[in-house]
Amino acid sequence: MQQQRRDPTEKGDGRRGQNELEEQVLRAGLCTGCGACVNICPYQAIHHDRTVTLHACDLAQGRCYACCPQTPADLSDLRRKLYGKTDCTPELGPMKGFFIARAADEGLRQGAQHGGTVTTLVTLALREGLIDAAVLAGEGEGLLPRSVTITDAKVAAKMGKSRFVVSPTVAEFNRVCRGDAAKIGVVATPCQAVALAKMRTQPVSEVESGIEKLHLVVGLFCGWALSWQKLAALLKAKTDLAQVTGMDIPPSRYHTLEVYTRGETIRVSLDEVTPCVREACHSCDDMTAEFSDLSVGSARLPEGWETARSWNQVIVRTQRGMDLLELARRRGVLEFREPPAENLQKLKAAALGKKKAAASRSKYLNSTANVEETDGFGS
Amino acid sequence: MALDREQKEEAEVLLMGNEAIARGALEAGVRVAAGYPGTPSSEIIETLSRSSETGKLYVEWSTNEKVAMEVAAAASFAGLRSLCVMKQNGVNVASDFLLHLTGSGTRGGMVLVACDDPGALSSANEGESRHFARLMEIPLIEPADFQEAKEMTRWAFDLSEQIRNIVMVRSVTRMSHASGNVVLGTLPALEGKAEFLCDGPLSDPERGPVVSAPVMAKHRLQQEKLRKAIALFEKSPFNAYSGPEKPELLIITSSACTLYSREAVSRLHAEERAGILKLGTTWPLPPMLLKRHLRKTQKVLIVEEVLPFLEDHVKILAAEQAREIGIKTFYGKNDGALPTVGELNPDLVADAVGRILGIDPPAIPAEYGEKLRRLTEFLPKRDQTFCPGCPHRASYWGIREALQRDHRGGFVCGDIGCYAMATLSQAAGFHTAKTLHAMGSGTGIASGFGKLGPFGMTQPVLAVCGDSTFYHAAIPALINAIHQRADMTFIVLDNGGTAMTGFQSHPGLDVNAMGEAAPMVDIAAICGAMGVPVTIEDPFDLIGTRETLNRLLEEPGVKILILKQSCALSPEKKGKKRFLMRVDDTLCRGEACGCNRLCTRIFRCPGLLWNRERKRAEIDEVICAGCGFCAGICPAGAIRSEEAAKP
Repeated sequence: MQQQRRDPTEKGDGRRGQNELEEQVLRAGLCTGCGACVNICPYQAIHHDRTVTLHACDLAQGRCYACCPQTPADLSDLRRKLYGKTDCTPELGPMKGFFIARAADEGLRQGAQHGGTVTTLVTLALREGLIDAAVLAGEGEGLLPRSVTITDAKVAAKMGKSRFVVSPTVAEFNRVCRGDAAKIGVVATPCQAVALAKMRTQPVSEVESGIEKLHLVVGLFCGWALSWQKLAALLKAKTDLAQVTGMDIPPSRYHTLEVYTRGETIRVSLDEVTPCVREACHSCDDMTAEFSDLSVGSARLPEGWETARSWNQVIVRTQRGMDLLELARRRGVLEFREPPAENLQKLKAAALGKKKAAASRSKYLNSTANVEETDGFGS
Repeated sequence: MALDREQKEEAEVLLMGNEAIARGALEAGVRVAAGYPGTPSSEIIETLSRSSETGKLYVEWSTNEKVAMEVAAAASFAGLRSLCVMKQNGVNVASDFLLHLTGSGTRGGMVLVACDDPGALSSANEGESRHFARLMEIPLIEPADFQEAKEMTRWAFDLSEQIRNIVMVRSVTRMSHASGNVVLGTLPALEGKAEFLCDGPLSDPERGPVVSAPVMAKHRLQQEKLRKAIALFEKSPFNAYSGPEKPELLIITSSACTLYSREAVSRLHAEERAGILKLGTTWPLPPMLLKRHLRKTQKVLIVEEVLPFLEDHVKILAAEQAREIGIKTFYGKNDGALPTVGELNPDLVADAVGRILGIDPPAIPAEYGEKLRRLTEFLPKRDQTFCPGCPHRASYWGIREALQRDHRGGFVCGDIGCYAMATLSQAAGFHTAKTLHAMGSGTGIASGFGKLGPFGMTQPVLAVCGDSTFYHAAIPALINAIHQRADMTFIVLDNGGTAMTGFQSHPGLDVNAMGEAAPMVDIAAICGAMGVPVTIEDPFDLIGTRETLNRLLEEPGVKILILKQSCALSPEKKGKKRFLMRVDDTLCRGEACGCNRLCTRIFRCPGLLWNRERKRAEIDEVICAGCGFCAGICPAGAIRSEEAAKP
């Protein structure tokens, strides 16, 4: 079955240039800020969490348009090319296994979000030489994350917090893949994972691309990302931004964004937060980063949130993803527990909810249905 | 042309109009000359500054035209001959003082030379200073050739002393910047002590205080002076008629239009039918002289550029004298014979004369037309752009990137200097500047825009101004913006001189117009003293400039950024390359996705070339200034810079 990301009546072969990117994505408010169009040419740039056009490029076709996760693409074709005959669930995408895991190192968990699984996997991949560089969202200034590339496993352990504002991770990949790194891993949101998947399946252009250096994509469950400007304005009224140490979204019945500062925890109603959600996120139908090697998100457990918040749910999609997870088990850096029987169904329901909301393109997300099993970003 | 004092008298030399004016002032024994640079006037002060002698002739580039006129007036008050020089809009700047000066009167001969720019060849307007002569009630004289430029300037000092008021000499671009033969006259011995005699009563023009009060009495006196000037104009050799005794058509003209009129009549072979009354004294018009000539014919064509100044005044005189001279048919601006905008030329005048006399202007020979067409096909389309290595290109590149990143529709209020081109041309400034008016107006306009936040304006507002413009007129506007808490970013494009007009000195430099050491008045210190922190960046540091600007754009109130980098044509840089540039063919992406010729399609420094055959960028080694900036914009790192060997 052909599955089109955008309007299937869209004319042409989907290969357009900056003009159409501007018209269909940037000016339409549909940019995810993933950074796929940045650092491949001098015309697009990221400022804060926004993609901007610096100068007009008059080429009829460009990689900016081709690799943007928001331009039309045949996702089934993409899935076939990248995942072969892997079992594919309609709600969660390609799936080889479903796990509940967390970092064995409690100290690492403390410094990371939830179970610290992503941090553990990235650290392991670097340490074992599966990758020699990891691109991820690091600490920035004033709630604005910064895309960073790390080659030192010890540094990875310090980068494990969830980010609620998008960072231009693919732009950083575009930069790094032209450098010395040979095997690059990326910690990606669903939109960033789609961009990377499109890059992997695009015909190679006459200009160097470096996509062959992509060796690992660790996907992050994602309900939505917030506009940095709107979030900053919202929180500025409540606290000193410099004091914010982290944020989290507890299960939906709390209907709250928790903001951790050096002094206290500030609870912000999701009614205030939802207007800050990026416009692009309302039409996103991918909650679990389906175009990754494995995807990680927060867990739900029968013991309740206080226990669940130190675990992650993991969907493994590729053999490479499975190998990494099993290596982590063998090395004892991840610990596992049996997923409760109902977890996968709940996750599927939440992912389906996001797909339905995207299909109806509601102005604001239905917060009770859609963020059930997700947080912002991160592990 | 060197116009030093050793130049032989009676020698016939080739002089630019402006040099002839300067020579006229020297022959008149001018002791103080002040001006502000502005095309087409700048060479007058430059020529005089080269002739300056300690204790004999003082020359300065003043901060603005009003100050220049005040400086020159002081010399006049002290009994010395003085000159002030400016372009047409400089007279606007000086006009407030001029209005009072004409009331108070002068002592030593004082001449204002105003150089107009019909067609706005290097101006942001084609305003005319002629109208000020009437408005201010002072005599106006206009040379029509290069010898006259010298003679009339010299005579203007005599006239000023005869009527004890300032006299205006008006030139135009084609007069100031063309060259012709001039027979030199005697240079006087420069004597006379400067002393301001001011111990007499108010009514004493020799020893009293110099003021425009009592206003009625002084005004009446001023008008008497003007009548005295009319009497002198009636006999002036600068007004001359050539043509038949009873011409079918009388052409009345002045200035460079005299030359166009002569050529037009000659081209139409109408010498027996049309006569030309060339006027050198154009305000107030001498009525008896006009009456004599108007009597000769029924048809009168007034040939002048832009607005009907001469035409209006001739018509008034003709109406007053109608009983004696009869009813005339007038041709000129009001009937559409000649355009009211732009420069004139012999073609336009020949068309007008031909239509009136029923003569078809001689057609261009077909063969000539064909040659012209073939030759002009080869003319490359040239951008109006900045020089290779110009720091303004880098500044605007940084500003453009910062504004695009900021994404709130921010814009630049432009100002006067080379950087004004950013309002006109993609190649110069990437369309970042959106307003352009008078000197300093960018800052004033930005100050106003910066108060529109409460009315819903969310666009960041920037003002740019050059270093010379900063001293000239931006300071009061900047003080206003700071005091009124306007939200704006003020950027000084400091390129170390009055660059557009030929690198004249200004108060920020350590040298004055005469090449003497002078104290520098520091822009950053002035801004700092206004209580606003100042950031200084080098526009060639693109990332530093852009990041600073993006930070400033988000702050409220007035923010000040000085982008400091010398003009590529500055004496210390000219002809010296800091870097040797080259393009690495293997890295240049050309027209492919990933570049699409950023350097030659968007950045467009003339030092960068696009080789159509090889589809690669190249450096034009002849004109590349070696600034190195383009290496930083190339996305592929294909533009390489290598530190040039020190000479």
